[in-house]
Amino acid sequence: MDDERLERYAELVVRVGANVQPGQEVFLFPAVEHRDLARALARQAYRAGASYVHVLYNDGHVRRAMIELGSDDALTYAPEWLKTFTASMAGNAMIGTTGNPEPELLADLDGERVGRAVPQELVQIRIKQITENSVNWCGVGAPSEGWARQVFGEPDVERLWELVAFCMRLDEPDPPAAWQEHMTRLADRATQLNDLRADALRYRGPGTDLTVGLLPNAFWMAGAGDTSSGIRYVANMPTEEVFTSPDARRAEGTVRSTLPLLLSGQIVRGLELTFEQGRAVRVEAETGAELVRSHFATLENADRLGELALVTKESRVGQSGTLFYDTLFDENATCHIAYGAGLPFLVDGDPDDGLNLANTHVDFMVGGPELEVDAVRADGTAVPLIRNEEWQVA
Amino acid sequence: MSDNGERLERYAELAVRVGANVQPGQEVFLHGLVEHFELVRALTRQSYEADASYVNVQYGDQHIRRAMIEFGPDEALTHTPEWVKATAESTAGNAQLGTSGNPEPELLADLDGERVGRAIPLEAVDIYRGLHRKNSINWCGVGAVSDGWAQQVFGEPDVERLWELVAFCMRLDEPDPVAAWREHLDRLDARAAALTGLRPDAIRYRGPGTDLTVGLLATARWGSARFRTGSGIEYVANMPTEEIFTTPDPSRAEGTLRSTMPLSLGGQLIRGLELAFEDGRIVHVDAETGADVVRGHHANIENSDRLGELALVTKDSRVGQTGTLFYNTLFDENATCHIAYGFGVPNAFEGEPDERMNVSKTHVDFMIGGPELEVDAVLADGTEVPLIRDEEWQLAA
Repeated sequence: MDDERLERYAELVVRVGANVQPGQEVFLFPAVEHRDLARALARQAYRAGASYVHVLYNDGHVRRAMIELGSDDALTYAPEWLKTFTASMAGNAMIGTTGNPEPELLADLDGERVGRAVPQELVQIRIKQITENSVNWCGVGAPSEGWARQVFGEPDVERLWELVAFCMRLDEPDPPAAWQEHMTRLADRATQLNDLRADALRYRGPGTDLTVGLLPNAFWMAGAGDTSSGIRYVANMPTEEVFTSPDARRAEGTVRSTLPLLLSGQIVRGLELTFEQGRAVRVEAETGAELVRSHFATLENADRLGELALVTKESRVGQSGTLFYDTLFDENATCHIAYGAGLPFLVDGDPDDGLNLANTHVDFMVGGPELEVDAVRADGTAVPLIRNEEWQVA
Repeated sequence: MSDNGERLERYAELAVRVGANVQPGQEVFLHGLVEHFELVRALTRQSYEADASYVNVQYGDQHIRRAMIEFGPDEALTHTPEWVKATAESTAGNAQLGTSGNPEPELLADLDGERVGRAIPLEAVDIYRGLHRKNSINWCGVGAVSDGWAQQVFGEPDVERLWELVAFCMRLDEPDPVAAWREHLDRLDARAAALTGLRPDAIRYRGPGTDLTVGLLATARWGSARFRTGSGIEYVANMPTEEIFTTPDPSRAEGTLRSTMPLSLGGQLIRGLELAFEDGRIVHVDAETGADVVRGHHANIENSDRLGELALVTKDSRVGQTGTLFYNTLFDENATCHIAYGFGVPNAFEGEPDERMNVSKTHVDFMIGGPELEVDAVLADGTEVPLIRDEEWQLAA
């Protein structure tokens, strides 16, 4: 690993992503396989004036031992120290790492126990922090041999690093400046979309002709947000999308996915969904259709839409031409849609019935050179948004 | 499972069942360096196999510590986060496992020794010290083999060779390691009982660069590392262990001593440490390397300039027999006789420790034994009873 690149990567995440403020504490949650990045993040956080850097390594094998050999009570147990740790994040900065070093580690275990192994009390503490917007945080990718093997079929970590560095704009002479420019461009798009006050979006392409209604009180947003105390942060790096939550009651037509999706250890390819009155009434796919059907059958409102996100060909993830098998990256390659839960922070005031509530949120990619996206106004006029993967609004 | 995988599981099982002696329904608090993940995972599996209710794993990382010492503010050095305090408090009544074996022993060598010496989370140390005084944790520390540790020991990252030595020290070559450990600990306890029965007033050490007399507390006894918690759980705090030890009178130490093996401390190597004592206090520190770390301790940490432990080891030690310098206190202190400055060992007392026992926030063991060291017990009437000559035990057990 190139030490200088690693430090520049970590510096970008600390300064632009989480935007660590002098005197803040920083909380890191790396996998043990992510230790090189975790160490660089700790160094850069102290250099940014952090008062203390807390590092809590997680280990998939320790989790596996709990699920395989532990008691039922262990599965949902939240130790006091871990509640204290999680609660201490309020008012401070947090950085998470993704890129599963062993994607199939839990594949042979009892799926019901794997699904149940969630420390609910910790989730509640995090939901409160997200609702109160009290943590400036950032999630980033951490290349590892296992992740590289998933992407390339061989553990070529350096090749994965080069792609990740490209997606993160580390090749730019001044990456933080490049990011500011990039975020401004995305924010301008969100403003344009909000000003359009569109009633619906229409998608047309091979196998796709779908119209999705929008909510008048839901706005479009791009990557950067502010904490309640006014600290600007970029929650995902990379990010290439402008996104909103649609009216879960209004979707008509069909949509075909354009990239494979890794879901619960299976790959869903060529997904085709047909919508009537907001509900997905038909599911087809080349592979993995059963998994999606089981979501719709067992999870309430999973068969309604929760997010629309627009991505154009300037996307560095898209330009890499790589399927990363990691949502943080793949959802930024091209336009995507999510079934399941909507995003409450996009709604002004109280969410009404139009915002979808569900216990899952699955992004799938629908973009490509042939996809045309239009905004449809209340009077029926259509405004082109995307053609040939290029942004059309002046 | 490979032979090495099976050896790892047997090693972990020994640490869980004989070392910490994890009881069904107990939580386990497991602390290891991030490079020790293979052993940490095996200890986790074996703890759940022993019916632990939950295994709390907290990985440490010397590079994170280095970042704090190098770039962090002064307050960070001694800070104890709330969740670390919560961890310490939750450990009461539960089992604790720790792994040692520094994969990068010289990682902190180029940093300011004074800051390295000061970087101790003081409140956490207080809480754990309280728990150990009450003897409320069944715990065990074991070695974790890594590339870096093997590199340090052999000059090359021969992990398999280090594993073989560690397995030998842990008696994993015995047909029944559990029975072998019981017999070994019985032998050490018999030695300790014989020495306690002598009721010595002091211990005198003589050897090259060493002529030191340390007073003993009449209330303290000698013992092995086989302890019992307040609630009656028997555990072996260190594996391997080859010592019998006591905690001395911190107000009585006169003379000089010279360490006989290097010591890895706070990421630096201390070689040829020489200490001079007057009235129990260390009044002079010299060393070939690393003297500043030791001086930093004595300047910043109250009572770290007084003694907390005397330990006697003879040549039947399996660690000593390996003829290997492990650069790891857990192993090296069991190779030969050692002394510790800093806090005393409450396990040297039946019940509550004597008030005179040294109270401090650190405890540093350094090795003074060797073929030329003579150790005598000095009785109240001044007669001297030989304890060790030529690294052999002299007292009938």
